[in-house]
Amino acid sequence: MSHTHKPGNDGAEERHAAAMVEEITDFEVLEIAVRELAIEHGLFTADDHRRFTEWTESVGPAAGSRLVAKAWIDQAFKARVMQDAVKACKEIGIDWSEPTGFGTPSDYMNLRVLEDTPTLHHVIVCTLCSCYPRPLLGMSPEWYRTTNYRRRLVRWPRQVLAEFGLILPPEVEVRIEDSNQKCRFMVLPVRPEGTENWTEKQLAEIVTRDCMIGVALPRRGRTADVHPVHKARRPVQGSAHSGEAAHERKE
Amino acid sequence: MARSKPPKNALKTPATARFRVGDRVRVKNLPNLFYTRTQMYVRGVVGTVAACTYQDVIPEDEAFNRDGRIEQYYIVRFRQKDLWPEYQFDNDTVQTESPERWLEPVDN
Repeated sequence: MSHTHKPGNDGAEERHAAAMVEEITDFEVLEIAVRELAIEHGLFTADDHRRFTEWTESVGPAAGSRLVAKAWIDQAFKARVMQDAVKACKEIGIDWSEPTGFGTPSDYMNLRVLEDTPTLHHVIVCTLCSCYPRPLLGMSPEWYRTTNYRRRLVRWPRQVLAEFGLILPPEVEVRIEDSNQKCRFMVLPVRPEGTENWTEKQLAEIVTRDCMIGVALPRRGRTADVHPVHKARRPVQGSAHSGEAAHERKE
Repeated sequence: MARSKPPKNALKTPATARFRVGDRVRVKNLPNLFYTRTQMYVRGVVGTVAACTYQDVIPEDEAFNRDGRIEQYYIVRFRQKDLWPEYQFDNDTVQTESPERWLEPVDN
C-alpha cells in the first residue's frame, strides 16, 4: 500500500509487489540462512523441510481433547494425569520425548494439567513469548502470541475473557497460569452437565482448543468440527450461488 | 533447541529445595543482567509456593548455552489484589514460575 507509482524519466517504471506489513525480522533472516546452510550441507532437503513444516502446522488439539475426555470418564486415568502428565500422555498416544516420531523431542518436558472446579477457572498464557503444550494442542492460535493477549490477560483477565464471550461470576476464582519458564500447561475443564451417558468420542468433540486454553467452556452441541456459517442477510435472488444453496453445501 | 536430557517432572520436594509448598516468598527485585525470565510484574511482591516443579539450569545461564547453574524451580501463586491494588475481584490469582535465586523467605 505504501508503494506509489512514480513514472520514471525513461518510462521504465519499477514494478514489484510491495508487502503491506513489516518485511521480515532478523530472526526470520537467521532461520532462512541456517536452513539454507543445512540444505547445502545435506542435513535435509528442501522437500524434507517443507514436509516437516506441513506436518508441524497440521498438528491440532485433538490429542488434548482425547486426554480431557478420557480423564472425565476414567478417574484412575485422571489421577495419573495429575500425578505425571507427560507419562499419562503416552496412554493417549503422545510421547513428549518423541512427538514427531523421528527423534525430535519436545523442548520442554514438564507438563502440568490444571483441573478446573465449579469455583476455580484456569487460563494459560505466556507473558514472555508463546509457550504452549504443542505435542497436545498443536500450534498456538495467532491471538495467543500477540502482545495484546499476553499483557492484558495477566492485568485484566476478566475483561479479556469477556472479549472471548466468557463471563464468569465473581465468586469463581480466575487463576492465570503464566508459563514463563519450563512448565507447559493445559486446562482440564469441568465436564458439562447433561453429558452423563456420553461416550469418550462424543465428549472429546466438545473439548475444543479454546476450552483447553481456558478462554471458553465446553458446551453440549458446540464442537470444533462444525463450522459456523453466516448466512447472507440479503442473498442475491435467482442466482445459482444464492445463500440458500451455499448454506446447504456447507451442511 | 532441545537439551540432550530433559529433566523429568519432579514431584517430590528434593532435599536441596529451600522452600516448600505453602511457604510465603517474595520475588527479589534484582537488576536484569542480559537475560531473565522473572517478570517485572511480580518483583517485590509476596506470594505462596504452589508447587516445587523441577531442578534445571537457570535461564540467566541457559540463554548463553553454557553448562549453567542448576536450581530448584517453583510455581508461586499471587493474589491479583497484591499485584494490582485497584483489582476488583478478591479471589483471583496469578501463578508464575521462578528458579530459587529469585525468591526470598517472608516471615509469617
